[in-house]
Amino acid sequence: MMELVRGTYQYRELIWALALKELKIRYKRSVLGFMWALLNPAFMMLVLTLVFSTIMRFAIPHYAIFLLSVLLPWTFFSQSLSYAVEAIVANGDLIKKVAVPKLVFPMAALVSNLINLFLSLIPLALLVLGMRHPFYWTWLYLPVPLLALTIFTLGLTFFFAAANVYYRDVSHILQVVLSAWFYVTPIIYSLDFIPEKYRWIFKLNPIIYVINGFRLSVYYGMLPKASSVAASFVCAFVSLFIGYAIFRKYQNDFVFYV
Amino acid sequence: MFPNGATAIRLENVTQRFRVIQERPDTLRELFSKFFRHQSSYHDFEAVKNASFEVPQGQMLGLIGRNGSGKSTLLKIVAGVYRPTAGRVEVTGTVAPLIELGAGFHHELTGRENILLNGLLMGYSKREMLEREQRIIDFAEIGDFIDAPVKQYSSGMYMRLAFSVATEVDPDILLIDEILAVGDAPFQQKCFERIQNFRRAGKTILFVSHAMNQVEEHCDRAILIDKGSIMADGPAHEVVEVYRSSMAMEVVGAH
Repeated sequence: MMELVRGTYQYRELIWALALKELKIRYKRSVLGFMWALLNPAFMMLVLTLVFSTIMRFAIPHYAIFLLSVLLPWTFFSQSLSYAVEAIVANGDLIKKVAVPKLVFPMAALVSNLINLFLSLIPLALLVLGMRHPFYWTWLYLPVPLLALTIFTLGLTFFFAAANVYYRDVSHILQVVLSAWFYVTPIIYSLDFIPEKYRWIFKLNPIIYVINGFRLSVYYGMLPKASSVAASFVCAFVSLFIGYAIFRKYQNDFVFYV
Repeated sequence: MFPNGATAIRLENVTQRFRVIQERPDTLRELFSKFFRHQSSYHDFEAVKNASFEVPQGQMLGLIGRNGSGKSTLLKIVAGVYRPTAGRVEVTGTVAPLIELGAGFHHELTGRENILLNGLLMGYSKREMLEREQRIIDFAEIGDFIDAPVKQYSSGMYMRLAFSVATEVDPDILLIDEILAVGDAPFQQKCFERIQNFRRAGKTILFVSHAMNQVEEHCDRAILIDKGSIMADGPAHEVVEVYRSSMAMEVVGAH
């Protein structure tokens, strides 16, 4: 694990440059360029707000904020995985020609989405103000769930990036897994909607501990229980240990399979 | 940087085995069908067999041989792209691989952005690359195009920029794989001048080429490789002679 920390530090400039490259290319040849990183979530929020305040009315006040407080972290999670699953395969040409540490590719996929997540928090804050939802001091707590989410996501990006080198089906399977995972995670609904006797099943889902802190601090203005925070970090580090161990074991052979 | 006569590259009994898979189970379905039929659908192929040699610091070594003999694989082993199946590889100093020029270039990025990205990929820091940026641009003779995406470059400009980035970074060891076959005559001339400068500065150079006159003219020593094994190792002109006569034999034999 020290090796991962050291490698990340040593190649921080490369990881950052690759992440920026990813974003530059995504917004290249668009008039508004980088602004889209802000406008995309802003328009999504606008649509969701209109839909849930006029057409589908839930008994949840300020539903858009309720939803977005976890939808944005979820989008970061699922987008990072979708990028990272192709990270090694897409850079196959490079890996075959330059001796470059392989970990930079899934890392860069994650960092570019992390930048997007940060940018999308700006329209979320504007929405909170616009809807006159209280702007809780607990926003200051956000770095904690953000850290857990990043570590949790990183572990899975390593796993999927490595697995896809050997079996290209993995990228398709990932999409199926992500869409199923979205619905079994309390994102569009709350865990309170689930009858008490089934709730334990939902609690087996590791990501609920990780994203719990986002909704509590942005929507409810509360801090999660210590046990929930502990659970989120346990899940995060288990994910990282397993994901990176697998990646590390196979990384020197990637060059033969890309 | 090194005491005279120090070894820059040492290979000991290096073997590189590739698994050639006739029908690679690229998908899970294929994997399952393979699994149930209990077939092995691959064979192992040794691109480099038990190769040992040392390159003293400051030497320019030519690697010659027919297509597919294992020259490029050897270069990639030294570059660290492949980890050999067996044997030991020791490389002392920084390596600049000119294996495929512009491998790290991205077409949508500008020349300037690519200089930085390429340098970072080769393990240099951002500061080091910014210091060298102007010299890289000057050598490549790119002019105002430096801030245009490289997809708009002519192939000549592309090659010049790539060569310039790879050599301006001041490596201890330079690996050159047939790249000098491209580019027009004046640029080739410029490349060779730069290589001469590297030699004078005491850098180690591994040079793969099919142009025997270039090998004879520039290299101190040459190694002839055939089917992954080292067939001859000695002064460049002698090894080139061996290669030429073996080729001649084959041509005669074929008739």
